[in-house]
Amino acid sequence: MNTIHSTGNTVLHAQNVRKSYGSRGNVQQVLKGIDLRVIEGEFVGIMGSSGAGKTTLLNVLATIDRVTEGTVLISGSDISKMKDAELSAFRRDKLGFIFQDYNLLDTLTVKENILLPVSLGKKKKRVVEAEFNAIADILGIKDLAHKYPHEISGGQKQRTSAARALINKPSMVFADEPTGALDSKSASSLLGTMEEVNEQRGVTIMMVTHDPVASSYCSRVVFLKDGTIYSELYRGDKTRQAFFQEILKVQGVLGGDNVDSI
Amino acid sequence: MTLFDLVIRSMRKNIKHYYLYFFALILSVVLYFVFATLQYDPAVMEQSEVSANMAAAFRVAGILLLFIAGIFVVYANAIFLKRRSKEIGLYQLIGLTKGAVTRLLIIENALLGAGALIIGVGAGLLVSRVFLMLLMKLIGHEGFIEVSFSMAAVIQTAVVFIAIIALTSVQMLFTVYRSTLLGLFNSEKSGEHPKKPKTFLSAVLAILGMGLIVFGYWFSGHMLNNMIYFNMLAVLASTILGTYLVFRVTISWLFYQIRKRKQGHLGLNNSLSLAPLMHRMKGNANSLTIITVLSAMTLAMLAGSYSLYYSTEKETRYMMPFDFAFDEQWLADDEISAEAFEAELKEKEINYTTATIELLGVEWTYEEGIFPAFMDWSGGIYNTYIVSAKQLQKAGLQVDTPKDGTVIYHSSEMSFLAKDMKIPFEIYITSSEPESKYTAVKLGEGNVINNTWGPQFVVNDADFEKYKKAMVPESIENMSPEWIIKSIRIFNITDKSQLALASDIRTQHWDEGSWSYGADYYSMYERSIQSNGLLIFIAGFLGLVFLISTGSILYFKQMTEAEQEKKSYATLRQLGFTVQDIMRGIIRKQAFVFGLPLLIGLLHSVFAIKAASFLFMSDITVPASIAMGVYALIYLIFAFLTVGYYRKTVKSAL
Repeated sequence: MNTIHSTGNTVLHAQNVRKSYGSRGNVQQVLKGIDLRVIEGEFVGIMGSSGAGKTTLLNVLATIDRVTEGTVLISGSDISKMKDAELSAFRRDKLGFIFQDYNLLDTLTVKENILLPVSLGKKKKRVVEAEFNAIADILGIKDLAHKYPHEISGGQKQRTSAARALINKPSMVFADEPTGALDSKSASSLLGTMEEVNEQRGVTIMMVTHDPVASSYCSRVVFLKDGTIYSELYRGDKTRQAFFQEILKVQGVLGGDNVDSI
Repeated sequence: MTLFDLVIRSMRKNIKHYYLYFFALILSVVLYFVFATLQYDPAVMEQSEVSANMAAAFRVAGILLLFIAGIFVVYANAIFLKRRSKEIGLYQLIGLTKGAVTRLLIIENALLGAGALIIGVGAGLLVSRVFLMLLMKLIGHEGFIEVSFSMAAVIQTAVVFIAIIALTSVQMLFTVYRSTLLGLFNSEKSGEHPKKPKTFLSAVLAILGMGLIVFGYWFSGHMLNNMIYFNMLAVLASTILGTYLVFRVTISWLFYQIRKRKQGHLGLNNSLSLAPLMHRMKGNANSLTIITVLSAMTLAMLAGSYSLYYSTEKETRYMMPFDFAFDEQWLADDEISAEAFEAELKEKEINYTTATIELLGVEWTYEEGIFPAFMDWSGGIYNTYIVSAKQLQKAGLQVDTPKDGTVIYHSSEMSFLAKDMKIPFEIYITSSEPESKYTAVKLGEGNVINNTWGPQFVVNDADFEKYKKAMVPESIENMSPEWIIKSIRIFNITDKSQLALASDIRTQHWDEGSWSYGADYYSMYERSIQSNGLLIFIAGFLGLVFLISTGSILYFKQMTEAEQEKKSYATLRQLGFTVQDIMRGIIRKQAFVFGLPLLIGLLHSVFAIKAASFLFMSDITVPASIAMGVYALIYLIFAFLTVGYYRKTVKSAL
C-alpha cells in the first residue's frame, strides 16, 4: 500500500533505527529497528500504548536524542552523524516543535515567544513581521500578540506554540501530544488548524498521540508496539469519521490495552 | 518509621539543597570563630592593653559581625525553605501535621547547626593562625606568634550560633504555620508578571531616583559647613532612596521602554536577560538595593582604612618633617636633652645630621573668605611661626625659596583645603612695627617643623631677618613669652634602618604621659601604623564578611532562578539554540545582576571617599583604587561561579 503515496519528495527517512537506554548489563532496547519514510506534505500520526516508544521515536527523529544504531535522513542530511552544534542549527533552521505542555517562556509575550526561532537569524525585521502576521492570522492569535502566557488559555497557548513551530518555515514539524493538555473543543480546533496548515501550506507534520480522535486528522497513522512498527493506516479519501473507526479497530487489536485511549 | 528516620532520609536525599544552607552556616561559624579567637588571643590582648581603641574596635566589629552573620544565615534559610516548599507541602499532603513537619525541620536544622559548628570551629582553628599573622604583620609586630586554643572563643561562638539556629528554627516554624498547602506547591513558580507601568508616574519616579543620586553626589562635595552632620544624613538618605528608586522604578521603566520599542522582536539575548530581569525586578529591587548600599559602605570603609594604612608614612612625615626635634623650652624633666641625645647617638655609632632652626612668633589675620566659614575661629586673629627657607634647607628639608614679600603657607592640617583655596591670598602680620603685608603664593606640603599646630610661614632669608628686626614680641598676646622667639634642634638619621635604635634612645627617657608632645618621627609612625594596621585588619575582615555574604546571597538567588528557568532552557535547546547561544544571554543577565550593584556601589563609594578626603593630608587615589579593585575582583568571582552554575544547568537541561 506504500506505492500509492510514495510519490513526492522524501522529507524524512529513518532506516533501522534502534535506541537503547542503560549501561552494560542492564540495557533496555526501546526502539528495535524502525524503518520509516515521510513524504513532503504528509501529516503522520504515531500511536501506540505507553512504553511502545512513541516519544523516544519522535525524539530521535527530531534530533533531540541520538539513535543507538541506524540512520535518519531529514531533507537529505544524515542527522545521526551530525555534531551537537550542527544539530542545534539544524533544529533551528529545518524543524518545528509543538509540545504537550506548550513550553512557552513565561517571561515573553506571545509574539516574542513566536519570534524566538528567528531571533538569531539575520532576517530583516520587515520580513519577519510579515511572516508573523501571516501565521498569527492562520492560528487566530493576532490579537494576543502582546499578552503573556499566563494571561491566555491552554488552547491559545498551544496555538502560540504552533505558530512558533511554523515561523521558520520548517521542513518538518514534530508535535508531541499537542492536545494532551487541552479540552476537547480546543483540541479539535487546534487539530483543525493543523490540518489546514498541512493542506494549505504543505507543511509536513509528525505527531505523537495516544488519542484516536487526534490521529484521525492525520493522513497516515503509524502504530508502534514494543519498539517496532506494528502497522500503518492511510486515510486516503476516507472521511475523518471512517478513519477514526479504522484507527479504533487497529488499536483494539493492538493487544487490547485501551488504557491509553480512554 | 520514626520522625528521626524521616529526617535522616530526607537529609540524605536532599543533600543538593542542603549544601547551600550548610555552606552558609559553616562559613559564618568559621568567620565568627576566627574573630572570637583573635579577640581572646594573648598576643592581641597584649596589644589592646596598649591602646584602648583596639579593644573597643574589636568589640564593635564583633557586634557588627554578629549582625551580618545572623542576617546572612536567616536569608540563606529563607531561600533554602523556599526551595524545599514542595517537599514541605508533600509531607503535609500525606498527612503529617504541621507540628510534625516543623519538628522534622527543626531536628534537621539542629543537626545541620551542630555539624556546621563542629566543622566551622575546626576550620576556624586552622585558619585563625593565618589571620593572626596577618594582623600582627599589619600592625608591625615582629617575632614569633603562637595561636593558643581559646575555650572562651569556642563557647562564645557556640552561644552565638545556638542563638542563630534558634532564630532560624522560629523562622521555619513561621513558614510552616503561616503557609497554605497550595502556596507551598506554587512558591517555586511565584510568577510575578511585569505590569505596564503607569507611564507618567513611573517616568517621574524614574527620573527622581536618578536625580536623588546625582543630588547626593553633588551635595557630598558641599557639606563642609556648620551643619555637617545634618548634611551627611541628607546625603545618605538621598543616595539610598535614589538607589532604591533606581532599582525599583528607573530600571523597570527603562527596560519597559526598550522592550516596547522592540515590538516583539526581542532577540534571544534580550529574551534571556531583559525579559527575566523585568519579571523579577519587583522582588529583586530590595535585595539589589541592600547589596548596593552594603557594597558602597564596605567599599568606602575598605578604601578609607586602606588609604590610612597606605599613607601612614607619608602622613606622619607631613606632621614630622624631621626625625627628631628638640625644643629646649619644652623639655620635660625626665626627657633627654639635645646634647645628651647627640652624645648617645655618637656612642651608638648612629650617623646623623643636625641643625638649628629659629622660629619667630607672629600674630596675623587674613582677607575674608579664604577659609570655609566653619573653620573661622578666634575672631580671625591667628598665631603662628615664621621660618626661614634657608635654615630649613640647611637642615635638609626641601622647600622652595619664596620671593620677597611672599610666603609659602605650610600646614599639615590644611592640606585637604589646598584644592579649594583661592591662591594667592593676602596675609596681614600685626605683630611687627610697622605692620606688614605678605602674599601667600603657595600651599606647601605638610609642616616644616615637628610638633606644631597651625600653619607655618616660610619666607626667604631677607624677609626673615626683616621681620626679626621689626617684630614687637610684646604685641603677641596669645603666646607665652618664652614661645615667641625660640629655636629648635633637629636631627636626621642618615641610615633610616637605624631610626628605631635612635628612637629608643629618646623614648627610654620618657614616661608614658609625656608621649604626645615632643614625640619623634619614628615613634609616631609606629603608633600610627599600629592603629591603622588594626583598622585595616578589622575593616578588611568585616569587608570580607560583607563581601562573602552579599556575593553568596546573589549566588544563592541566581541558583534558585537558574533552577526555575531550567525548563525555559530545555525549550530553547529543543528549539535549536546551542548552549553557547543561551549562555550569551545568561551572561548578559549576570552582568546586570552582579555588575549593576557593583558599579553603583563603586560610584557611591567614590563620592563618599571624595567627601571624606579632608581626613587625609595626602592624595589617596592610589590606595583607594587598589582597595576598590581588590574588592571588585573578589566580588566578580561570585559572578563567575554563578555563570558556571548556569552553564551546568543549561547543559543538563536537555
